Amino acid sequence: MSPSLSSLVFYAFSAMLVVTAVGVVTLRNVFYSAVSLVAALTIVAGLFVLLGADFLGAAQVLVYVGGILIIMLFVIMLSQQPRDLLQRQTNDQWIAGLFFALTIGVSLVRAFTYFVSQTPPDGDIAPTSASLGRLLLGEMLLPFEAVSLILLAALVGAVVFGQEKNA
Amino acid sequence: MFELGPALHHAFELLRGFAVSHGMSRDAALLLSKIIQANILVLGVAVIPMVLVYAERKVSAFMQARLGPMHVGPWGILQTFADGVKLMLKEDVVPAGADKWVHFLAPVVAVAPVFVCFAPVPFGQGLTPVDLDTGVLFIFAVSGVSTIGILLGGWGSGNKFSMLGGLRAAAQLLSYEIPRVLSVIPVLMWYGSMSLGTIALAQHGRWLGILPKWFIFYPVIGQIAFLIFLISSVAETNRTPFDIPEAESELVAGFHTEFSGLKFALFFLAEYAYVFLASAMGTALFLGGGDGFLLPNGILPSWIWFLLKTFALVFLFLWFRWTYPRLRIDRLMQFCWKFLMPWSFVNIALTGLLVLVRQR
Repeated sequence: MSPSLSSLVFYAFSAMLVVTAVGVVTLRNVFYSAVSLVAALTIVAGLFVLLGADFLGAAQVLVYVGGILIIMLFVIMLSQQPRDLLQRQTNDQWIAGLFFALTIGVSLVRAFTYFVSQTPPDGDIAPTSASLGRLLLGEMLLPFEAVSLILLAALVGAVVFGQEKNA
Repeated sequence: MFELGPALHHAFELLRGFAVSHGMSRDAALLLSKIIQANILVLGVAVIPMVLVYAERKVSAFMQARLGPMHVGPWGILQTFADGVKLMLKEDVVPAGADKWVHFLAPVVAVAPVFVCFAPVPFGQGLTPVDLDTGVLFIFAVSGVSTIGILLGGWGSGNKFSMLGGLRAAAQLLSYEIPRVLSVIPVLMWYGSMSLGTIALAQHGRWLGILPKWFIFYPVIGQIAFLIFLISSVAETNRTPFDIPEAESELVAGFHTEFSGLKFALFFLAEYAYVFLASAMGTALFLGGGDGFLLPNGILPSWIWFLLKTFALVFLFLWFRWTYPRLRIDRLMQFCWKFLMPWSFVNIALTGLLVLVRQR
């Protein structure tokens, strides 16, 4: 893809991402919020692919959109009450919250500009899955296994808490 | 013997050359030819469900000693076209209690991913639309998005039957997605690739000059993987015996109760396209893609072989639907979590052992 085309796609994706992300935190209907979170996370996957991270993009859609968000929609449908459809998402603290979010945003931008100055590699970016697998099961084996153990513990914990008390 | 892939490739080269010689820039010509290719794929995917609907009606009719559609065209071949026209002309009813936007969005979200899913499918020699390195993962990821369309339909209809159908769909599709992905992992481990094209090509060849080297013929691991893949694919496409989300004897029609006309047609387009996609994936992963058998090499081109095998698998889907009774929801979930999941893990471990043995 030529640079101008890819930056066009990037800005189009980013604009849609900002609109949907704002929708997630401002829409009053909780179901609409969840749906715009679906859109936002799908667009994030698109950005990953645009950056050449094909595995990450597919995993993002598989795990977040196809898994976690379906569970969220499931929960909303199960526990829905009429007042959930008109809920305000903000309270009197929103100015402080905005300030806090801006601080995080600015520091993230400052942190990333350090990397932007480094030029990206030329030419087509190679498929990432094979090298990712080698890294995860080679150099990064210990952190990878530690994360798996934490996830397993969370899973077992969820089962324990979810058990019926007088079964 | 006529290979479609190289011929199409050549035709597009000629077209691009023609455009460039008439003053179009090289980039624009490339982009335009990509757009045309994408449209060919989208049209193909949109036509396949029509064939499948006709096949379903005929197969079910023959299984029940009926004739099926007979009046529109010879042997009723044009029946699906007539149905399509009817569905397009029907009134689009939106119930008063429905959420208008979600009701509109549901069929769109259900059908849009289907078209993208066919991109990495190797339809034959040189006929892979986009040979993605993460092909298998890509298909699983994108096809999962359709579940959200079903949920939207269930919620947006403002109807308790639809809602129940949507909830069941979420539970079932999410659960069966896991054994489905796990059943494919042995194939990926054995061939060391996630690209469907590479996997299909690696299965060409013969053992002892007779038995094709397809993954399904690998002792034990191939058969277990294929069976789990087939069963969970039937569940993923919402078809009997796993059509709990739309069980008509309990839920009217489940999540698509309140949809009519073109919206209803889009839901069905998605369902049949997914049946075809699952069969195409099964062909590429387990049945050697465009590899021929029995007949001497080169009598039939690879894309014909691919379509033949895919339609054989589609026939299995139809066969299941018209011969098995529907499972109860709790048994359905138990079957997934307590039977398919453990066995797919066992199969992965077995494959790991075999890969180790092969390396020695």
